[in-house]
Amino acid sequence: MKVSRRRGRLRLRLDPVENVLLSRLIDELDTMLAEPVGEDDVLKRLYPAAYRDDSEAELEFRSLTETSLRTERTERIAACRADLAQSDEIDLTDEDAGRRWIQVLNDLRLALGTRLGISEDDDHDLDPSDPQTQPRVVYYWLTAVQDSVVSGLMR
Amino acid sequence: MPGRTTLMPQREATEQADADVTADPDRPWITIVWNDPINLMSYVTHVFMTVFGYAKPKAEKLMLDVHQRGRAVVSSGTRERMELDVSTLHGYGLWATLEKQT
Repeated sequence: MKVSRRRGRLRLRLDPVENVLLSRLIDELDTMLAEPVGEDDVLKRLYPAAYRDDSEAELEFRSLTETSLRTERTERIAACRADLAQSDEIDLTDEDAGRRWIQVLNDLRLALGTRLGISEDDDHDLDPSDPQTQPRVVYYWLTAVQDSVVSGLMR
Repeated sequence: MPGRTTLMPQREATEQADADVTADPDRPWITIVWNDPINLMSYVTHVFMTVFGYAKPKAEKLMLDVHQRGRAVVSSGTRERMELDVSTLHGYGLWATLEKQT
């Protein structure tokens, strides 16, 4: 994975295996997002409450915003999936492309990080015998990709 | 790792006065962004710059308030406007809420 800017174009280059991994993660996220919010921790994190102390206002806010937020997420996932299907080299120069990529990478990190219970105590120690080690490596990799893309967009 | 640091929760800092915000009858509602252990500091700064058009120093200051104090007031205005801001921030995966300014 490498993010570089050349002749004014910002690009994310992936190894073929990274493209496969990212496509799979995006497919999993897409499947997960088809579920109603309910009690699932990931969906609750992706669709948090807007009102802390007013359940009536919260219900109304949700009825007004959730559908469009869900559509937005589904559409940007589809666009990122199409980018990956086209090439291992993704052009992020276009404002829409840059935005959808950092948003989707962030959604992936929120989903995986919430499942893994990533907390302030996370020490990056990896124990090979721990079944969570593999998803944690993926999470740290997603973090590196997102951080590189954000830095690239801010330069 | 600079820039790869996440926003860490600081549970003790959930309720405290926001020095930056003064009561303004014309801007009665506020949008608050809360700390979380996953969103990257660089990403949150970028979102504040993109969504609100804040210059980098202001966006970084707000991000650090979230990181160090547990929350920051990122915008104020009408209730409708704040609902729009909160919804936009939710679209970016930030943990945002709105409330009436006290």
